[in-house]
Amino acid sequence: MINILIACSIGLPWLGALLVWLIGDKREKAQHWAAILFSVAAGAAAVLMLWHTSAESGLTITMGGVFGDFTFIPDGLGVFLSVIATVIGSLAVIFSTSYMKGETQIGRYYAFVLFFIGAMVGLVLTSNIMLMFFFWEITALCSYALIAFHNDDPKAVKGGIKALIITSIGGIGLLLGALILYVYTGTFDISVFIAAPSAVPAGMLAVLAFGFLIAAAAKSAQFPFQTWLPDAMEAPSPISALIHAATMVNAGVYLLARFFPAFKDVPYWCEAVMIVGMLSALLAAIMALTSMDLKRVLAYSTVSQLGYMVYAVGAGGVFASQFHLFSHSIFKALLFLAAGAVIHSVGTRDMEKMGGVGKHMPFVKWVFLIGALALSGIPVLNGFWSKEVVLEAGLAGGPSWIYGVMVLVAGLTALYTIRCVWKVFFGEARSDYHAHKVEMAMKVALAPLALAALVSWLAVGPFSTLLGTASLPQHHIESLNIAELVHEVLTLPTLIALAAIAIGVVLWLLRAKLEGFVEGLRGLRWAADHSFGFEAINSAVVRVTNSLAETLRNTQTGLLNWNVLGILAAVIILIAAISLGA
Amino acid sequence: MNLPIPFIVLLAVLSLAGTGFYCLLFTRNLIKVVVALQLIVKGVVLAFVLAGHLVQNESLAQTMAITVIVADTIVAVIGLALAVQIRLHTGSLDLKALSNLKR
Amino acid sequence: MWYVLIAVGILACAILAISAKRLLISAIWLAITSALVALMLFLLGAPQIAVIELSVGAGLVTVLFVFAINIAGEEVIGLRSALPLPLVWTSIVLAAGLVIFFIIRSLGFVQFPELTGELAASVLWQERYLDFLLQVVLILAGVLGVIGLLSHSKDVHRMENKA
Repeated sequence: MINILIACSIGLPWLGALLVWLIGDKREKAQHWAAILFSVAAGAAAVLMLWHTSAESGLTITMGGVFGDFTFIPDGLGVFLSVIATVIGSLAVIFSTSYMKGETQIGRYYAFVLFFIGAMVGLVLTSNIMLMFFFWEITALCSYALIAFHNDDPKAVKGGIKALIITSIGGIGLLLGALILYVYTGTFDISVFIAAPSAVPAGMLAVLAFGFLIAAAAKSAQFPFQTWLPDAMEAPSPISALIHAATMVNAGVYLLARFFPAFKDVPYWCEAVMIVGMLSALLAAIMALTSMDLKRVLAYSTVSQLGYMVYAVGAGGVFASQFHLFSHSIFKALLFLAAGAVIHSVGTRDMEKMGGVGKHMPFVKWVFLIGALALSGIPVLNGFWSKEVVLEAGLAGGPSWIYGVMVLVAGLTALYTIRCVWKVFFGEARSDYHAHKVEMAMKVALAPLALAALVSWLAVGPFSTLLGTASLPQHHIESLNIAELVHEVLTLPTLIALAAIAIGVVLWLLRAKLEGFVEGLRGLRWAADHSFGFEAINSAVVRVTNSLAETLRNTQTGLLNWNVLGILAAVIILIAAISLGA
Repeated sequence: MNLPIPFIVLLAVLSLAGTGFYCLLFTRNLIKVVVALQLIVKGVVLAFVLAGHLVQNESLAQTMAITVIVADTIVAVIGLALAVQIRLHTGSLDLKALSNLKR
Repeated sequence: MWYVLIAVGILACAILAISAKRLLISAIWLAITSALVALMLFLLGAPQIAVIELSVGAGLVTVLFVFAINIAGEEVIGLRSALPLPLVWTSIVLAAGLVIFFIIRSLGFVQFPELTGELAASVLWQERYLDFLLQVVLILAGVLGVIGLLSHSKDVHRMENKA
C-alpha cells in the first residue's frame, strides 16, 4: 500500500508534467484541468501516507550491487513535508488557473510546476543521498526555469540565473557530503549513517557537517546567501508561494533537521547554525522594513522566518523548527497568493502606488490580514504558537543573547508586517489603479489556507506523534498535546516576546511622532537598501561564474576534429603515465 | 608464428579503435562520424568481452557489453537523425560549414 | 588460425569503411565489419552478445544508415581535416608508438584462461540493474530519434514558414 502511495505522489505529478506538455498550448483549458487533476491526486496520495508512516523502507528499487538500492522511507519528517509540497502545490495550481489565464506557453509553466512537486516529494522521502542530490538539483532547475518563466524580461532571466548559480553552490556541498559518506560508510543510505555517525572520523564529520550547513544556507537563502530570494520574486506569484515560500526553500532546513542527530556533537556546529539563523533573521527583517516592493517584503520575511527555523535546529529544537515550518508554509503561501491576487488586480508590485486596495477587494484584505497576523505572531493564530515554541527551544538550548536578538526580530516582524498591510490595503489610493474582481479559483485556493492559518496549531498532538520515535528513532521528539503546548507557551518569556511584538505595533502607530528618530537611522536604511553589502558578494559569485563560462566557451570551437584530438591527447598522456609508473 | 588468442583479439580491438579515431580526426562528413563511432564501439564491445575472460568475470563484462551496444545504437539513431535534419535545414553535411558556435 | 583471419578481416573492412568515397559503400563495409566482430565474439564464448551485435550492429544500424543516406543524399567531402596537419600526425605517431611499445612488451606475457562461456540469464543483471533502467530510457530516446529521422519534409516547411 505505502509503496503505491509513494510511487503515486512522486510519479503522478511527473506524469502530469509530461501530459500537460503533450496536450499543447492550443488547448489551454485542458491544460488547466490536467494540472489540477494530477496535483490534487498527488496531494491525496501524500495525505493518505500520513496513516502509513514508519521508520522502515516503504519503497525499494533494486539497483544491483554496485549502486546500492534506491530506498524511500515514509517517516514523519518526510511524509509531513510531502503533504506540504503536494497540498500547497495543488492550491497553487488551482490559483494559477486564474492567475495565469491567457498567458502564452502555459504548458511550460505547468510542466515545470508539476515536475517540481514530484521532485520535492522525492527529495524528502528518499534515504539514498545520491538520489537526494538528484532531486535537490531538479528542484533547483525548476526554480530557475520558473523564475525566468517570462524569458523575454531580462530582470527575470537575471534573477533565475542568480538563483540557479547560488543554489548550485549548495548542491556542490551536498554532493561532496554524499561522496564523503560513501567513502567512509560504504553506502549511500543516510539512515545507516544517522544511526551510527561514528563510522566517519571526527575531522571528516566536521567537514561534512559544515558542508551541509553551506548547502542548507544556499538553498534556504540564509546568511550569507540570502540575496537570491528577493531577486527570485520576478517569478509569477503562485511560484513564489509554492517554491520560494512553502517548499523548496525549506529543503535546507529539512537537511539540517534530518542530519541533526549525526552532527549535534560536532564542535561549534550548533553555534554556527544558530548564528547563521540569527543573522539571516535580523538582516532580512531590517531589509523588509525599508523595501517598497510588496513581493520583496514577503521574500525578506521568508528569509527571516527561515532564520527562526535554522536557529531552532541549532538550539536542538528539531520539533520547534518543523512546527514553525508547518505554520510558516501555510501563512506565507497564503500571503504570497493574496499578494498575487492584489498584484494581478492592481497591476503593480510597488506599494507606493497602492493604498486603499481593501475597499475594492475585501475578501483578499481579510485573508491577507489573517496571514499577516500569523506572521507577526499575534495570538491565537498558528504563527504565534510555533514562534513561541521556537523561542522556548532557543532559550533552553542556546545562549541568551541570541534569544534576545530573536525576540527583537519578533518585534521587527510585527512592525514590517503592519507597515506592509497598511500601505497596501488601508489609507487612500496613491495612484489610479483599476482593481479587478477576484475570481473564484483564487478564492478556492485562499480560503483553505486562511482557515488553516487560524487552526493548524490545534493539530500539534498528531503532528508531534508523527515526528515521534516510532518514525524518527534518532531524533527523540516527545509527543505534545494541546494542553501541554498551551502550558509550555504561556510562560514569562512569551510575555516578553509579546511585549516586543506590541512595541513593534506601537512604533508603527506612533510613526508620525518618531520621524526624527527614523531620520537618525538613515545610515541603517541606506545599508538595508544595499543588502548590507551581501548583494555585492552574491553578485560577485554570479559574475565570476559567468565570466569563467565565457572564457571556457573559447575552447568550444564547434569542430568535432578538435574535440577528438583532445580526447586522443588525453589518452596518450594517460597511457604514458601508466607506462612510466609501471 | 603462434600468437596467443587474447593477443590477436587485442590487435583486432586496437585496429577497430585506431581506424575509428583516425576517421574522427580527419573526416568532416557527419555521417562518416557516425560510421567512425560505430567502429570504435565495436572495438569496445570486443574489449569488454575479452577483459571479462581475462579476469574471470564474464557475466559483469557481458552485461556492460550489452549496455554499450544499446547505448551505441541509440547514439547512431540520434546521430543519423541529426545529420538528416541538419542536411535538410542547412543543405550540407560538412562539419566545418556547421561550426558557428564560435563567435 | 581462425582468429588471425578474422582480425585481419576486421582491420581490412574497417579501413575500407572509412576510406570509401561513397557513403553507401561505407555503410556496407561497416556491416561486414560488424558481422566479423560478431563472429569473433561467438568464438570467444559470448554467443548472446554475438547475436545482439549481428542483429543490431549489422542489421538494424545498416538499415538506418541506408535510410538516412537516402534522405540526406550523397555528399562527397572525403577525409579533409579542419585541423593543422602536423599536429594531427604528431599525435597519431605518438599514439601508434605507445601502442606498439605496449604490444612488444606484452608479447607472450598474457596468459589466456580456459573459455567457460557459461552465462546464466539471472546473473546477467544482478550487479548492474541500473543499466537495465538506463537502457529503457535509451530506447525511448531512440524512438524519438527515429521520429526525428522520419519527420523530414513536414518540419522543413514549418521552419520556412516561421522564417
